[in-house]
Amino acid sequence: MELMPGDAVDFMIPPDALATISQAELDLLRSELGLDAPFLVRYGTWLVNLVQGDFGYSLQSGVAVSTLLANTLPATLELSLAALVLSTLFGSILGVVSALYKGRLSDNVLTVMGMIGVAIPQFLFGLIMIVVFVFKLGWFPVGGRLTVGNEAFLQRLDHLILPSVVLALSMTAGVMRYCRSSMLDSLNKEFIKTARSKGLPPWRVNLVHGLRVAMTPVAVLIGFRLPMLIGGSVVIEQVFQWPGVGQMFVSAVRSQNTPIVMMVAFFSVLIVLIASILVDIATALLDPRVKLS
Amino acid sequence: MDRLLLLEEQGRLSGNPTNRTLRKIAANPLAIIGLVLFLILLLACMAAPLISTYGPNAIDLRNRLSPPSRAHLLGTDQIGRDIFSRILYGGRISIFVGLGSALGAALIGVSLGTYAGYRRGALDALVMKVSEIMMSFPQIILVSILVTIVGQSLWNLLLIFILTGWPSMYRMARSQMLSIREMEYIQALQAFGIGSFTISFKHMLVNAVGPIFVNITLSTAMFILQEAALSFLGLGVPLEQATWGNILNVAQDLNILRGAWWVWLPVGLVITLFVMAINFIGDGLRDAADPTQVG
Amino acid sequence: MQHEPILTVDDLCVNFYTNQRCNKALRNVSFSLSKGRTLCLVGESGCGKSVTANAIMQLLPSLSRIEQGTITYHAQEGAVHIERLSRNAREMRRLRGEDIAMIFQDPMTALNPVFSVGFQIDEMILNHTNLSKKKARERSVELLKQMGVPLPEQRAGEYPHQYSGGMRQRAMIAMAMACDPKILIADEPTTALDVTIQAQIFALMHALKEQKETSILLITHDMGVVCEMADDVAVMYMGNIVERGSVVQVMGCPAHPYTRALLASIPVLGKGKEQSLEPIRGTTPDPFDRPKGCQFAPRCDFATQECHKAMPDEQIIDQDGHMVRCFNYKELMNERQA
Repeated sequence: MELMPGDAVDFMIPPDALATISQAELDLLRSELGLDAPFLVRYGTWLVNLVQGDFGYSLQSGVAVSTLLANTLPATLELSLAALVLSTLFGSILGVVSALYKGRLSDNVLTVMGMIGVAIPQFLFGLIMIVVFVFKLGWFPVGGRLTVGNEAFLQRLDHLILPSVVLALSMTAGVMRYCRSSMLDSLNKEFIKTARSKGLPPWRVNLVHGLRVAMTPVAVLIGFRLPMLIGGSVVIEQVFQWPGVGQMFVSAVRSQNTPIVMMVAFFSVLIVLIASILVDIATALLDPRVKLS
Repeated sequence: MDRLLLLEEQGRLSGNPTNRTLRKIAANPLAIIGLVLFLILLLACMAAPLISTYGPNAIDLRNRLSPPSRAHLLGTDQIGRDIFSRILYGGRISIFVGLGSALGAALIGVSLGTYAGYRRGALDALVMKVSEIMMSFPQIILVSILVTIVGQSLWNLLLIFILTGWPSMYRMARSQMLSIREMEYIQALQAFGIGSFTISFKHMLVNAVGPIFVNITLSTAMFILQEAALSFLGLGVPLEQATWGNILNVAQDLNILRGAWWVWLPVGLVITLFVMAINFIGDGLRDAADPTQVG
Repeated sequence: MQHEPILTVDDLCVNFYTNQRCNKALRNVSFSLSKGRTLCLVGESGCGKSVTANAIMQLLPSLSRIEQGTITYHAQEGAVHIERLSRNAREMRRLRGEDIAMIFQDPMTALNPVFSVGFQIDEMILNHTNLSKKKARERSVELLKQMGVPLPEQRAGEYPHQYSGGMRQRAMIAMAMACDPKILIADEPTTALDVTIQAQIFALMHALKEQKETSILLITHDMGVVCEMADDVAVMYMGNIVERGSVVQVMGCPAHPYTRALLASIPVLGKGKEQSLEPIRGTTPDPFDRPKGCQFAPRCDFATQECHKAMPDEQIIDQDGHMVRCFNYKELMNERQA
């Protein structure tokens, strides 16, 4: 971003005003915003500020980036968590069902549905959902996070449902496939035979012995889903006009609002790192053979 | 089962390994459907000038937003361009980006993975670290940042995809190498004094080809979806060139979304079908190469 | 001298259907397990020993089935035809654990790694009896103690990976014996263990046999184990029982070329480096590409024209029930005596 010709100032000033503002005024604006310093100096300053907790200011509005983040992060978190819960729940249940009825009709149907879910572009699914549920059926409002006056969570729910379902979709398909193969792997193991040889009823063999062992890799998978959620929310927030970090990021990229872009990138990496730590902890908790070091 | 028993007793089932692979493929109808679908779409897009009667950018302001008709198979968009033609021509670009990125990423990733995975040492550690850093960014964010740095263009996008795509190819190839290099015949080759370059590329790589191909097909699907998402947001291929994602870009306008389904729905379906076809093929390849699959 | 049979397998045929092929894994298998005695089922890997055990427990994989034959369990209440029972029905599930129990080759993979050992033994008890959880745990601890696991109260709460190999097998035996089954099937129980531990486990099994009158079906490929543990022996090759009888009969006076070859190929401890080992020539045939006639004929020193045409039937050689499947057993036995 730093390497691009032209910069945020050029973008900020509308073209017709450029004609009237003098070069000196432009330069003054640039130096105020710190854009006249060479690249390395700016990057260094950014890092130093970062460590001190100063996240910089939006080049467009002058509002502190930290404030902007604080405003948008809850929205994205709400959406992401809802999608995470939905996809994990449904993905796991459907995956287990698919594995237990392997080869039969329900398995085949679920598998094909899963394949469609993975192939369809997320935003397309969102658009279709909007057409069906908002325009044709009128069940849900068209976008945004809330309607003024109805701020309580339960009243906001109808805004949340559609975007979180759409965001959850392709992840559900992935979780379902993974859960299915993990369950099949688990059911192939020797201890399943031992459990059967004890005369245990089939439900217990499958759901206590099989499922418990199958869940460990799936739980690990959840941790890896967090980065996907961040990426997915960028697009979904655009489709549903959801006022989250993703939407802020897209407009910041378009307007070359460097501080915001850098901050979002930084935070997304942070979240990924946190996710992998959580994954390690989860594995250690679920599998008694693994020790935390 | 009785049928199998009868066949076996009649001695009709041979132990021929090619027979068995063929039978497995034939028993996998999804892969065949995928292959057929893929070929149809690919050939249709390649033959775009032959099939469509309009150019992809031919503007006809008198026929804006007209629904499907005999003149325009899939209707026109908001400045009168024929949707059907745009889908066909756009497909060329989208498929090119998808396949090209996958192959490019594979070229870099697999080469690095093969050699570094075999040799280990400083090179391997370095590349590993780089790949880890790159993989810790959510893809869209990384790609968006790169797009704004180098600017929007078709070739830039291809480059960026390759740049963001090679780490996972590298990882996969490397893990394959790590397991193969422990095998005895590799040690034998080392004892013969054969150079590491030859060993890694000529002898080890051939064994890893199966999963690599599967990965390429699945990567193609992923890149096509990514291009669609980026172009939809306006961050992908510049809007002047028709790609599947670009055609969908206008769907951000709620009026078009509501009133002119032919502008965005067919493109979306084409993308979905194409990606599905690729996934079917990829799965079929994976199943066919997997010896533990039961017939 | 007839012994009271507790399990009779008669003319059992099992087929496997995988990969679009049909493998006739067991062919006309017949033997009888007598009360309070140990029957060893011997043979090379892949000859069908485990398949037999799985068939008895109705634990065959889904793509296989019992084509013909009977498996009869002589319970106190009457004969139970196992081959007629459906795999997961209540009756079969009751038999498993309560009447017939099984232990497996590798206790590390046979025990569930995420549940404690105590939990897994409790499970067996709770499934078949009406004991409370507390009482079940008490019994589990008692069982572990009986099987020689030190510090049983503490060990019951631990996980399989925290046990040593021998202890794991003891725990598995404890689990199998939890409901005092009449029959214990042991599928190569010591193959994964050190020789010294092997001896301990066998001593344990022998004690069980003596104290509880448990009949043991011991599956192994190791002739040394046979000599040590068996009361009766059945030798298997490529899905057929080629020789059967008491251990004295079969080991002392082998009538089948395969049995003879097996005994000749074992190194004897103490005989030194110069002892001649005679490996059996050739290799086991591909189950999908079997030889016509007697399955052992291509590797047999006594093979004649007849042997390549048809599989020999069962022949009883003397009144004691020594059975052999060979056209030329007389020649072999004469050679021995000569």
